[in-house]
Formats: sequence, structure tokens, C-alpha cells
Amino acid sequence: MTANPRAFELPTELEIDTDVARRIIGEFIRGQLRQAGFERAVLGLSGGIDSALVAYLTAEAIGAERLLCVLMPYRTSSPASRADAETVVERLGCASELVDISPMVDGYFELESDASPLRRGNYAARMRMSVLYDRSAIWGGLVVGTGNKTETLIGYTTVFGDSACAFNPIGDLYKSQVRQMAEAIGVPDAIIRKAPSADLWPGQTDETESGFSYPVLDRLLFWLIDKRRSIDEVEALGFDRDLVERVDRMVAGAEFKRQVPPIAKLGPRTAGIDYLYPRRRPGSARG
Amino acid sequence: MLAPMRSIRVALAQIAPTLGRLDLNLARHHELIEQARADRADLVVFPELGLTGYQLQDLASEVALRLDDSRLADLAEATHDLSAVVSFVEESADHRLFIAAALLEDGEIRHVHRKVYLPTYGLFDERRFFAAGDMLRAVPSRLGLGVGIAVCEDFWHLSVAELLALDGAQLLINVSSSPGRDLASTNEVGLGTAASWRQLMRTYAQLTTSFAVFCNRVGVDESISFWGGSEVIGPTGAALLSAPLYDEGLYAVDIDTADIRRERIALPLLRDQRPELQVRELSRIVAERAGLASDSTSDPDAEAGLDVAPGSRTPHPIGFRRRTGG
Repeated sequence: MTANPRAFELPTELEIDTDVARRIIGEFIRGQLRQAGFERAVLGLSGGIDSALVAYLTAEAIGAERLLCVLMPYRTSSPASRADAETVVERLGCASELVDISPMVDGYFELESDASPLRRGNYAARMRMSVLYDRSAIWGGLVVGTGNKTETLIGYTTVFGDSACAFNPIGDLYKSQVRQMAEAIGVPDAIIRKAPSADLWPGQTDETESGFSYPVLDRLLFWLIDKRRSIDEVEALGFDRDLVERVDRMVAGAEFKRQVPPIAKLGPRTAGIDYLYPRRRPGSARG
Repeated sequence: MLAPMRSIRVALAQIAPTLGRLDLNLARHHELIEQARADRADLVVFPELGLTGYQLQDLASEVALRLDDSRLADLAEATHDLSAVVSFVEESADHRLFIAAALLEDGEIRHVHRKVYLPTYGLFDERRFFAAGDMLRAVPSRLGLGVGIAVCEDFWHLSVAELLALDGAQLLINVSSSPGRDLASTNEVGLGTAASWRQLMRTYAQLTTSFAVFCNRVGVDESISFWGGSEVIGPTGAALLSAPLYDEGLYAVDIDTADIRRERIALPLLRDQRPELQVRELSRIVAERAGLASDSTSDPDAEAGLDVAPGSRTPHPIGFRRRTGG
């Protein structure tokens, strides 16, 4: 079964039926927009695989003419990323805008030249969120999220930054499954093959920064979370104990990033506790 | 006596209800009942909560209908010369809310089934918002068949299809809002939920030697996508109609009611059913689980509902408790 080797490693247990996934996601995107009274969508396109896949899925669901991709490089962002993002825009034939976030970020950190890369990275992510929501008002579309399941689980996201969106079509797909979907839908090969990076500083890659590979991490999370295996049980499956414990701590530590902030319970009915309505209840759609 | 061959056209309304919008969904039901009539259907089946949408939460009380509601009467009025199964939130006189499915025929509400099993686990939270029904009844219909109605999770409990068949159902109807999940490459249809339901419906049809109808919705409520894949299964367990996954539509098939007799003669499982044996054993199990009797075939230290005590091995043949000192 190696006649057609993939450009990436796809653990067997994570393999999905991409036709079914595309159908579900297509219905999901159309449903979210229709129920909110919108026809258009906007997303931040980095040149990486996650946002490229979401761009392809959104274009497939509603037509490229209804999609706006916003490219928001910082001055140290990799030029290759920008080129890859431009290729996606070109291939899809969707609208795009370029907003250089360097003045916003540099303006804030002007008096703090010693700010850590982490602070700068998080701030940049929130600037992009800010730009995206502002552009969405002009475009008249909802912001589509591009975070995947792996990074959401381990907390490799900026809260109220890249995780901010109106809805997320790929938040239940592990990175390996994102790659499988990207291959199936025709995301350019170069984007699928390159090392994933948050592009927070030059040369950064997710896997060198975190010290583990996505196929291993995805499998581990799949067994721990989706298959409800204990730490001892996943160790028995052959995972390194230290890695398992470290990942387990990361998942627990990022719980706050995955949830709506708690409200102090005082009144008879409190949003999210005992006042429970669907987001898309009658009357919630834009008029 | 030979059963007269009679062909019944069954139409499945695999729709995408709009969440919380009774008005829109009622209009859609009227529209599809008329379309089914134009297509010469004898029976048209709508999915679970087709009149309200599924993920209602606190909207449930706002879209609830009393059985004497004029909107239900209007819907029933549309069913002259036609049978329809529709599903909605029913509010009882004592203000309990049920997930209900009603058989409408010839202008009347013939029967109402209140969902008996309310899933409250995983992505489901039904028991928080709804009361559970307490009754399972097969009822006669103008189709000339006994009809047994169940709602979604009801069929994840083995006894339901069997009880309905023993009560006289020849046509089992399950209306569902089944959320698609467990995406995989290894299932026949790429979706774990769909594979499970296909297996369940074939099994129930074959074991009860009845027709089994599954009507599942499509569309999206919040995070959840419903996968459709509605089916009609014959008494042999063979699929007579398999609607596509995710596509909204009215899908119809003609069934030959003589298949029931043929299959029940060839495979007389219902004839050989032993309800009195079940009642006896169930009474015993209920008493044992309530701690009112001791389980004569379990390890002495086993907890109620279990036969095996932790760390023990069966010391004697099943069915014979060793007596000591007697």
C-alpha cells in the first residue's frame, strides 16, 4: 500500500473519509452564515496549511467570490509565507487585502525594546484579530477560525488572538487530518510539505519549539482524549512516559483557553449556566 | 389464509428544520405533505423534532405544543387519505415537556409517542430539558398495519423494537435527529454514527420480521451536523430505500405488505418469542438489583447488577449454589 506515498505522515487511526468531512464542513459553513444572516466570510491567511485549508473549504462551501482573505504580515514574517498565501488567493480567485501589522506592533513596543518574543507574538496575534474583525465589518462577512484540534488542545494559541472567530470549521481536526484534508482538496503541495510554524520569529517551527512531531502528538492526543485512555494505558501503547505526562499537563493547563470565561453566579438566571439558548436562536440573525 | 398483496408507498421527509421556528417548519411540513400526496404516498414520515429543530435548550418551552393546539389540528387536517408521522415538543397538562412523535391520519391525531429514552451524555443533554415518556404502544393505522413509533435514542435500547413488535407492530418507525460524529475512514459510509444506525435498523427489521423505517434529519444546529441517510428496511433485513447522506429531500419507496407474512412464516421468530419468560426473569432481576432478593447465580459478594465479585472466580456450576450446613 505504498504505491502513492504521501508528502506527510498520516497515522492510520487518524485517517478520515475526506469526502464526508468536506460535506459536513460545507454544510456547517453554509449553516453558520445563513443562520447568522450573512453570505460572506473573511479569514486571516498566513501562508500556512491551516488557514489555506480553511480558505479552500470556505471557497468550496460558498464560492470564492464571497471570501475575503486578509494577509497580515509583520516585518519579520517569512517572505515565503506571504508568497504561499498569495498563491492560495490566486488559485482560489478570491478577494484579498494586505495589512502590514508592523507599525501597530512596533508602536506599542517602541518603549520596550526588551519585550520577549512570546509577548510580541501574542500581541501580534491580537493585532491580527483586531484587523480581521475590522475588515469583516467592511466586507460584511463573518470571521472564520483557522485553529486546529491539536493546537487547541495543547494550548498553542493566543487567547483572544488567533482563536477568536465567529465559527471554526477545522477545530475538530488534528494537524495530521488537516494535512490529509489539504491534500484531498488541492492545497498547493509546497504548503502541505513545509514545516508548520507560528512565524513568531524568523526560522521558528512548531516542532522544534515544542520538541515533538505532529504525527506523534496527534496520535497521543487521539488516544488520551478521543479514546479515553489513561496515562498508563497510552504508555502501554508505546508512548514515552515523559512526553505523555508533559502533554497531559499542557492540555490541562490550556483548559481556560477553550472555554468562555466564568461569570460569578448571582442572579436567578445567568448566561451559560441556567440561561441556555442556542447562539442561533430565532431573531439572532442580522436583519 | 394468504395475506393480500398490498403495496404501500412510504415517503421519508429528510428535512433540515430551522431551529426554533415553528412557523417556518410547519409551512415546510404542509408543503411536503402535499408533495407526498401528489406523489401518491400512503405514509410520510418527518424526523425527530422536525417542527422545532433539535438543539433547543431553553427554547423548548417556547415552541412546545399542547395536543389541542390548532396548529397540530391544522397539520392533522392535511392528512386526509394519508398517514403522517410528525415530531415536536409536547407540553402536557402538568407542564412537562416531551419529545413527541404523532401519527396523524384522516384529519386526526391517532397516536402520540413520547420519547422514552433521553440521552444525557456525550453531546446530548436531553434529560435536562425534557421529561421521559412512560409508554410504548403499537397502534393500528389506516395503512392496514400495526405501527410502532419510537424516537431516536429509543432504538439504542434493545427492548423497544421487541416490545413494539410483540404489541402488534408490523411497521416500526424511528424518527431521529442523529448528529454525525466519529468520522473515520474505516466505516462503510465514512461516519461511525451512520454505520451504527444502518446496522441497528437492519437488525431490528430482521429480528422482529417487520418493516423498519428510519427518518433522520439533515442540516446544522450550532456545532452539530445531522447526516440524513434515512432508510426503509424490509422484514428480511434488506434495505429497500437508502436516502443519501446530507441531501435534503422527499424520498419514497413502495413496500409490499405481503413480505411480512412471507418472512414471519419463513422465520417465525415472533411466534417463538417467550415474553412470559422475559417477564419472569426481568422481575427477578429487578428485585435483585433493588436488593430485595439475592442472586442465586452470582458470586456471593457481587454487587447488585453484576454476577462477578472483584477478584473471585466462579466456584461452582452456574445455577447451583452450594449449600453448606443444610
